[in-house]
Amino acid sequence: MIAATPEVAKERRKPQKINVRILRQDAPGKPQYWERHQVDYEPDMNVISVLQKVAAQSKTSDGSAVAPVSWDCGCLEEVCGSCTMVINGRVRQSCSALVDRLLEQAPEEIELRPMNKFPVVRDLMVDRSRLFRALQRVKAWVPVDGYYDMGAGPKISRDDQERDYPLSQCMSCGCCLDACPQFTKIELQRQPNESEDDLKKRRNEAYDEGFVGPHAISQAMLFNSNPVGKNMADERLEALMAPGGIQACGNAQNCVSVCPKQIPLTTSIARAGRAVTVYALKKIFDR
Amino acid sequence: MTSAQPSSSIGSFLHRNDFLVRRLHSLSGLVPVGAYMTVHLLVNASILNGAAAFQKNVNAIHDLGAILPVVEWTFIFLPIIFHAVVGIWIASSGKSNTAQYSFTGNRRYSMQRLTGYLAFIFIFVHVFHLHGWFHAQWWLSNVAEPLGMAQFRPYSAASTLAAAMTGFVWPIFYAAGIIACCYHLANGIWTAGITWGVWLTPAAQKRATVACTVFGVALTVVGLSALGGVKTTNIKEAEAVETAIYESRVQTGEIKPNEHKRAGDHHEPKLPVPEIGQVIEAAPISGNN
Repeated sequence: MIAATPEVAKERRKPQKINVRILRQDAPGKPQYWERHQVDYEPDMNVISVLQKVAAQSKTSDGSAVAPVSWDCGCLEEVCGSCTMVINGRVRQSCSALVDRLLEQAPEEIELRPMNKFPVVRDLMVDRSRLFRALQRVKAWVPVDGYYDMGAGPKISRDDQERDYPLSQCMSCGCCLDACPQFTKIELQRQPNESEDDLKKRRNEAYDEGFVGPHAISQAMLFNSNPVGKNMADERLEALMAPGGIQACGNAQNCVSVCPKQIPLTTSIARAGRAVTVYALKKIFDR
Repeated sequence: MTSAQPSSSIGSFLHRNDFLVRRLHSLSGLVPVGAYMTVHLLVNASILNGAAAFQKNVNAIHDLGAILPVVEWTFIFLPIIFHAVVGIWIASSGKSNTAQYSFTGNRRYSMQRLTGYLAFIFIFVHVFHLHGWFHAQWWLSNVAEPLGMAQFRPYSAASTLAAAMTGFVWPIFYAAGIIACCYHLANGIWTAGITWGVWLTPAAQKRATVACTVFGVALTVVGLSALGGVKTTNIKEAEAVETAIYESRVQTGEIKPNEHKRAGDHHEPKLPVPEIGQVIEAAPISGNN
């Protein structure tokens, strides 16, 4: 390393081709299968640009023509969360997964799988609606409505700002849910003659029974700290104590380990634990 | 958030009362089960001071007399059964993924469940082995004793314990059980601290990990030393000490003569199976169940 200039060292590592192994699925409920692809190496690629090449050639590494691989992406700067997938065994955003780094860790191939805990729509695309349903469950918003000028809001202390800002960085990507051993997959199949609305209703009922997840617990804490959001603090705590609420947390702490935004999710979980402890005691003794 | 509930089964009841059940599960693990286990292992370790010291502690427990079964069922057996049953339900609600994510916290999560299952098996066998679970005569003479269970006699504490621990199968089983229980309690205190909201930040949780580790290691040392103390007990000498204590206590009127709480060979010869102890009175064994 010392003898070689950085360029020379980089040159040496550069492969001609990149091998990609993709776990594909043709439609919801269909079996998954592995497929190998090979694309030309270019400097400074990310997994999205690899997937673009894979889709463009639509040909496996042994030359057979296949349907283009599907995936989801949006912002390409790790703020929308839509390109989240399992890359080399770890859930993360494919836009910020840089090929050169991945090849340093595992030079022979890059392994791409859809997220484990969400229903697969096709290939690497998943349906993350349960994640957003969980945010509805805990009312993760500030209840302000109307177009009139409400005047200046209350002052938020520097300490509170510093505690809350990291929580506001959540982009609802679902990494924390995918890594959580307590968050298990819920996937419903459409029944014969079932309308889209009926399926959605049935799905939401199933989602509402499941674990709400670290992201929603953290957002509940964020909005319970907000001077206006506080108005609904008790409703959020009720939601956190409902079936599938905070009590389903098993303290594995994978959520905080995989969060791409380094959000202190386990601190939020412990704060929520304390808040519901106090709230439950109040409910028993204050009435 | 109301939603359609599965109409039947205990699982549905547990799910509807998820929060209460899991918080009671957490609480029962600390008090009374965890607190009891700590006291239990400390009392056991007094066997290191000899059969007399151990006998004195066991006597103190059995002096509760007629109330003892009530105490042991209310504060020990029922909470353990509750903690175990709910614990199995909780463990089955998750799906371990340490193969994919080998973070320390994740491995602790899996270990907590593994040691929970081990502790479950250990405790249920251990109580059967030494205590017998029930002291109804038909149970003891038809089930427990023919299986070689219900070995402990409170007025012959050290000697019956040492006799039950001969060989190496039982001692290894007990050593494994003690280690599993100590891990489960120490790590359980740490997770309970998060559940109840005692330690919030990663720094505080790290300090709590250190404290829980020290506690867990210390308790394991205490528990394994007690086992070592049992293994090094001379049965004949212990019996002599226990007989002397028993006779003096009977003489002073402290206790009524009760051969069923003593080792088998003190039984009246007219009993049909003289080597098997028969505990009929409502004062079963608790100190080393």
